[in-house]
Amino acid sequence: MNDLTTMDEPVGVNQTMRDEIRRVSNATRARRILISRSMTILCGLALAIAAVPLFLLIYQLIRRGAPELTGTFFTQVPQTPTLIAPNATGGLSNAIIGSIALNIYASILAIPVGVLVGIYLAESASKFASALRIIAQTMAGAPSILMGLFAFSFLLQDLKVGFSAIAGSFALAILMLPVIVISTEIAVLNVPNTLREAGLALGAKPHKVSMRIVLPSALTGIVTGCILAISRAIGETAPVLLVIGGGYLNTWQPLNPVSALPLSIYENAKSEWPSQRAQVWGAALVLVGFVFILSLTARIWASRKQKVSN
Amino acid sequence: MIEESISDLAIRGEVEEEFGSSSTSRTWYHYVLLGACVLFAAASVGFVGSILQKSLYTWEHHAGTIITGSGWQSPTGPFGGLSMIVGTLETSLIALIIAVVIGLGTSIAIVFFLPRRLRNIVATLVELLAAVPSIVYGLWGYLVLAPWFLTTLDPWLNSWPGHNFLFGDPGQQAGPSLLLAAIVLGVMILPTFVAISREVISVVPQDLFEASLSLGATKWQVIRKVVLPTSRIGLFGATFLALARATGETVAVALIAGGVAKVQFHLLDPGTSIASWIATEFGEAQGNEVSALMALGVLLMLLSFALSLVSRWLVSRQRKVLARV
Repeated sequence: MNDLTTMDEPVGVNQTMRDEIRRVSNATRARRILISRSMTILCGLALAIAAVPLFLLIYQLIRRGAPELTGTFFTQVPQTPTLIAPNATGGLSNAIIGSIALNIYASILAIPVGVLVGIYLAESASKFASALRIIAQTMAGAPSILMGLFAFSFLLQDLKVGFSAIAGSFALAILMLPVIVISTEIAVLNVPNTLREAGLALGAKPHKVSMRIVLPSALTGIVTGCILAISRAIGETAPVLLVIGGGYLNTWQPLNPVSALPLSIYENAKSEWPSQRAQVWGAALVLVGFVFILSLTARIWASRKQKVSN
Repeated sequence: MIEESISDLAIRGEVEEEFGSSSTSRTWYHYVLLGACVLFAAASVGFVGSILQKSLYTWEHHAGTIITGSGWQSPTGPFGGLSMIVGTLETSLIALIIAVVIGLGTSIAIVFFLPRRLRNIVATLVELLAAVPSIVYGLWGYLVLAPWFLTTLDPWLNSWPGHNFLFGDPGQQAGPSLLLAAIVLGVMILPTFVAISREVISVVPQDLFEASLSLGATKWQVIRKVVLPTSRIGLFGATFLALARATGETVAVALIAGGVAKVQFHLLDPGTSIASWIATEFGEAQGNEVSALMALGVLLMLLSFALSLVSRWLVSRQRKVLARV
């Protein structure tokens, strides 16, 4: 090694210059390692800083929410506390039923249309399809309060529907549509073309190939996308805030005013009664539970798909 | 993929012509798909058109006020939107800075410095946190963080020299403030940003990483010079998604920003944002105020569409740059 360096060195490089080069390179090397180490520490610090508030949030959610989850919470409608009974908050069964109802109706409205549009986008290359794709991507990023404004101006003002579950479902459906469209398109595009060609080669008609071969293969992906869309919709407050009317009764009727978990959280957090403010944590815990179950289901579903395709 | 399905369609057309398959069977399927697409397009056009139409009165008569006016006199007007616009920009930009600075470090730490087993657990946790509804973050900010701000953080910030300039007058704080909203928004969009940027960073090819390590680069040099540049498209995407979430956030900000329609430059004073102002005022609004709130909705829509456009443009430009390399 030493011989090699001496051989390669230009004539006239003396010992002092060589030492100087070594000194500088050692210095930069030390500096580079120092920078690398300190950036490692900074990144670890960022991780710690990020973890603290998120950990606190989950901790407080469970610690304050769990004691609220009594039988009353799930079975009774809300009451307003009085001076005589400051802890009589009732339950939030109306909000739980309302949230489930809203999302069922919204799914019925959004899933068929969204899935069909997604299939069309994946199987067509027309200008119309690429325009729809851009629309879907833009709508997916639109603030959710706008869906509420749309439902209000279209259903409540133009069609005179009145504050109702169906108006909220309409707003949530508009919110879910682009998510379902985009995920369905990706799921259908992921089906290998060889499958399609095999079907066509056997003489199946294109729509048969699409329905019997492509859709079943893409089904797990489509279902995952739909579950994720629902898990996003169930936690949204802004779209339903303006149009569902905040009903106090347990009702599955689409035309009745209903409440929803996020809406009760928003309303009761501002309550002057400590008991109601405490109950809100229970509602938040149930809501987060819903969302986690839905996302974990989607995740398990998706991993099952990977196993099958492997 | 798309090109493949084009050729696929072409093949299908030929097959059909040759074998003379009945055109009716193709058409009903085609029409069902097309019908759904028309419905979707109509819903999107209706979405934009309906809000625009309801705000026409304001645009015709008070277009200047809604953009540059700063007071909101309910129920008669004038209805100025400047305080909401400024509030939206202040809160979401501060939140974005918090989320990107901390989030990028977090993603790098998760991908490169955590042991493999822990890495997957943390990644799953982050994704679950990104799915937590915003109202829960708002609730936490309102019931936990706001009292803490009031008793601890506000007095401490106000003990700084020059606090008047940035944070405002110590006499008039009350928990909810623009700074609180910005911090809660930052915490809220942090998991969203980390979830995407972690994934983007972790798909950078291992051989690129190893090649530069073998050339003698330190780990940080590899991350800075190789990993971050290769994944910048995805990082842009993550940033814009986080920003879109912050600007459109409604109920969390409605709970914790204070709900005061005033242009605030002192961050500890209560303010508001476009989306949260619509949410809080809509219930009691009548007549022209509804139209003014719809006009605010149009402004929010423009902001969101502009963000989406800019991010699309940036991503496509970066793709071209990368393709040239």
